[in-house]
Amino acid sequence: MAQKYDPPKQSGLGQFIDSFFLMALVYAALLLPILLGLTGGATETVLPDGVTQIEAEDGTVTWQGLTWESLGQNPTMQAQWEKLGYDVEAAAEIITTRFDYSIAPLSLLITAIAIIGYFIFLVTMSEKEYREVIAEKFDARR
Amino acid sequence: MTDQALGQAQPQRINLLKVLGPAHVWALGVGIVLVGEFMGWNFSVGKGGAFGSLIACWVIGLLYTCVAMIDSEVTSTVAAAGGQYAQAKHTIGPLMAFNVGLYLVMAYTMLEAADALVTGDLIAIAAAQFGHPGLDPRPFVVLTIALLALLNYRGVFMTLSVNFVITAAAFTSIVILFIGVQPWNPGAVLQHQGLLTDLPYGWIGVLAAFQFGIWYYLGIEGTCQAAEEVRSAGRALPLGTMSGIITLLIAASLTWYITTGLIPWEYLGQDLAPLYTASTLTGSTVLHVFLFVGTIFSAVASANGCINDASRAWFSMGRDRYMPVWFGAVHPRYRTPFRAILFLIPIAVSFAFTGLLDQVITFSILSGLLGYTFMPINMHKFRKKWPLGSIRRGYVHPWHPLPAIVLLSLCTATYFAVFLGYGVQLLAMIGFYIVVSLWFAFHRYKYVRRGDQFTMPWPRPLGY
Amino acid sequence: MDIWDIASYAAWIASGLILLWMVADAIKVNRDFDESLLMSSQEGIDELLEDPAAAGRPGREG
Repeated sequence: MAQKYDPPKQSGLGQFIDSFFLMALVYAALLLPILLGLTGGATETVLPDGVTQIEAEDGTVTWQGLTWESLGQNPTMQAQWEKLGYDVEAAAEIITTRFDYSIAPLSLLITAIAIIGYFIFLVTMSEKEYREVIAEKFDARR
Repeated sequence: MTDQALGQAQPQRINLLKVLGPAHVWALGVGIVLVGEFMGWNFSVGKGGAFGSLIACWVIGLLYTCVAMIDSEVTSTVAAAGGQYAQAKHTIGPLMAFNVGLYLVMAYTMLEAADALVTGDLIAIAAAQFGHPGLDPRPFVVLTIALLALLNYRGVFMTLSVNFVITAAAFTSIVILFIGVQPWNPGAVLQHQGLLTDLPYGWIGVLAAFQFGIWYYLGIEGTCQAAEEVRSAGRALPLGTMSGIITLLIAASLTWYITTGLIPWEYLGQDLAPLYTASTLTGSTVLHVFLFVGTIFSAVASANGCINDASRAWFSMGRDRYMPVWFGAVHPRYRTPFRAILFLIPIAVSFAFTGLLDQVITFSILSGLLGYTFMPINMHKFRKKWPLGSIRRGYVHPWHPLPAIVLLSLCTATYFAVFLGYGVQLLAMIGFYIVVSLWFAFHRYKYVRRGDQFTMPWPRPLGY
Repeated sequence: MDIWDIASYAAWIASGLILLWMVADAIKVNRDFDESLLMSSQEGIDELLEDPAAAGRPGREG
């Protein structure tokens, strides 16, 4: 016969500290990637053949050999870009920015282990607690 | 013990009010999600091109159809305010339930912050167009959150009735835009012929697009949070959820069709509000105004639904002492979880003001994804512990275990997509959930009553 | 000071008033009602969930 578990009563201060601790952890998780400078997907600039980009010391960028055709844009696309208020150079900034989908096997492995491990921990630990709950609910005499 | 307490009239007991119908459930589910059609989904175009995004839209649509099927069965049976949290408590166990409850609170509170921020920014944009550039959006962000919290504080019926109206209006604005671009006359306004390209990154881009394909539907599972407040859980929840997912599939297809016919994919892939941009490209002032209003309405409806859902989850966890018990209170007059609603206001405002929007949105999506991963495990255990016929179910979904298997494989693919784009955030977030799990298992759980958490009047689960 | 500036101040003030009202109401409720009443809600009270054998008993929420 399972013994009924009687939890301790938590003080108001304890309740406050628990809520506060949880929120502090949330902010830590949000800030950590930023502090490490590791946010967002990796992008790279991919220039089409015949186009070169020169960046001056003050950060201004000049393009050479840039045409709508060299960016792979047909007249329809060009018309829509212009309707959006973009000239060929402004559009080139967007068009030549590409995502880098190269995969680092080690970090993929670490991530996979972390996710799978997390769920295994959740399910096994929950199972242990669940048996206790069921035992008390269905066996305990009031 | 609850069985006998139930049998007597209980004048001194207050519960959440059972007043909602299927239309409210629809408004809650679609209301939260529809903002995703106005902004966010289009990053999937940047990840994998226009066709990549369409494939992601359909594949992730399948993921959510599985989610809706599983949720409808379990929630119509476990009718409790915590939604998936209460499901986890009954089928898997306390630690899982704690995590699921946190996924819900985090996903919705963070989405709420993002929605309020969008509303403020849109008002600033409108001000700029009327000759007042540089308007500070912050007072409008706070006002949005405060007004919606007040609405939620004062009663669920009004909250979701308002949501029904503004969600329907936002959906209508998409339909009006669709008619406005003359889909029967290709080439007049829509330029699919000239704008659509091959897959720019090949199939890996399509996979990467899954991450943002989630935006088309993220939050539809929030309908479960209304379970304790609907008049008939067995009818309203499956009806509201399924009609919600159909609405979203239609809205997503229309949105994709309109925007890809007007905007080159490279621009679309990084645009802030693509439907609004599309309306400006048509050159019609009427469409322009409609879409501006539609975008604001969708953001407000989403924030509203998020406050509703996050507070229900937080309240349920308080009621079971997973979180401080103080939050488990119901307002004696309005019958709402008023302390949970109040507590989450400053949290949402702080998320909106820290300038961490990207982080916050990623965290929100990932918390959602973790919640979907829980569902197949949940479904498997639910059918195993209480086979069909052993308890009364409000709805039984067909083809079990196929939806669960499909859902689990799609979740895996989406994790991979997130890894491609946001690998570090993914690890940081899993780290967060591991730390809070340890905290819960070894500290917090000692305050939780054991047998009392199991509230459903069901027989003993098989095998225990 | 144009209409947008006025709207900004109005928004700050309105938000403040709304929040104050909610906090005041919550404090009033805490004072006027017994904590055990506020905490008395129960999960899982629904006609669907009742044991068929016990169907028809009173006390369910309408």
